[in-house]
Amino acid sequence: MVKKLLRFFAYFAFFILALIYFSPKESIYYLLENELKTYSVIISDETLEDSGIYLTIQNAAINVKSIQSAKIQNCDVTLLLLYNSLNASDIMLSESLKSFVPLKIETLSFTQSIFDPLHLHIHAVGAFGEAKGSINLLEKTIHIELVASELMQKEYKNALREFTKSQEGGLVYDKSF
Amino acid sequence: MIKVSNTSFLPLFAKILILLLIAKTLSLGLLWFLPSDGVELVQKSNYKPKYQRVDFENMIKSPAESKSGGAKEGISSAVGITSMVLKGLYGTQSAGYVIVALKASLSKTSIISIGEEFEGFQLNSIAQASATFTKAGKEYTLELEKISAAGRVSAFTQTQEVDDTLSKSVSKEDIALYAKSPQEIWKEISIVEIKNGEAIEGFKVTKITKGSKMATLGLREGDVIIKANNIELKSYKDAIEIYNGIDKLDAIQIVVIRENQEVEIVYEIH
Repeated sequence: MVKKLLRFFAYFAFFILALIYFSPKESIYYLLENELKTYSVIISDETLEDSGIYLTIQNAAINVKSIQSAKIQNCDVTLLLLYNSLNASDIMLSESLKSFVPLKIETLSFTQSIFDPLHLHIHAVGAFGEAKGSINLLEKTIHIELVASELMQKEYKNALREFTKSQEGGLVYDKSF
Repeated sequence: MIKVSNTSFLPLFAKILILLLIAKTLSLGLLWFLPSDGVELVQKSNYKPKYQRVDFENMIKSPAESKSGGAKEGISSAVGITSMVLKGLYGTQSAGYVIVALKASLSKTSIISIGEEFEGFQLNSIAQASATFTKAGKEYTLELEKISAAGRVSAFTQTQEVDDTLSKSVSKEDIALYAKSPQEIWKEISIVEIKNGEAIEGFKVTKITKGSKMATLGLREGDVIIKANNIELKSYKDAIEIYNGIDKLDAIQIVVIRENQEVEIVYEIH
């Protein structure tokens, strides 16, 4: 009986892996692009590469309301059903934002797992410092904890006004959407 | 010799093949419901000749009242170009026209377009406040006629409302402050987009803080800004492009809809 169950799970896992491998990742990405368009966010000039397990997006220009807002050098999207992630690196925000925030973001990642399906976890490191947080998909809330860099504390005090001080002394940003 | 059909390898291989086949079929089925193309940014061309100040008032003044603009040599000197005055210009680098005159007879002006000649100098291109000519293979830059500082202040610090046109004076220091700290703008003024369906038709001023610098700029609550420097504001990008280059301009012209009428406001930056 146990042997049969194990064999079933082995076949099932193989089937899921095959499904992930054959899934039309580029088309799923196009679906995401169409969804983002409804929020006036357009990703352009990117090159896509389906690597089987994950989709690699390179040189993507993010346009918000037709304004180029950021350039992403590299981004890997992994959809494993049980664990999904988006890891972007070398992000340069548009020059028009330099009055608000430091422009360079080293890494930005969004992860979601089956064990916590209602939360999208965020982690970012850049010239602004380090940020960790989550998006509650059910309650539609964002919670971000920021460890601001020296540059951020010195030159971008206005941007930090959006944050409140937590009991632990860190900076916290809460917003609903 | 063991037959392949008698080993356990073949049923296992067949099962794996079937699973792969089902997975591939499902993926192809999924493809049917997914879009085949992504979204690309379509930038609608919004070409309009750039706004340039043409000082018609100075053109009709007597030569004694008017001070001539300077001529700067691009490569080498020539006697002819220094005797010319650029009195006005309108257009972009590759299209448009300029109004020129000789210092000796300032009231006698000529309008020439790109490619045409004036006193042997061929007009090549038009910049923000200058025009480039060539003669005998040499390049010359003629700058727009300058008005004396005192004259400019008296002409533009007084707000005048004639034929739905307002003229205002803005200091470069204020422009630099707002360019460096854009958040200061939003403390003094609130602007929202006006849409007709999906298309942006302009930007409405919903609030201006009384006593603020923004309040002195001639805008009123309820004004809908539809153009800036002859560019129709049909997207945030149009507005941002004007904003990004604001520190390089010496004049900004905006057109607003006020009480169902178009009103033009010209800001002279000094």
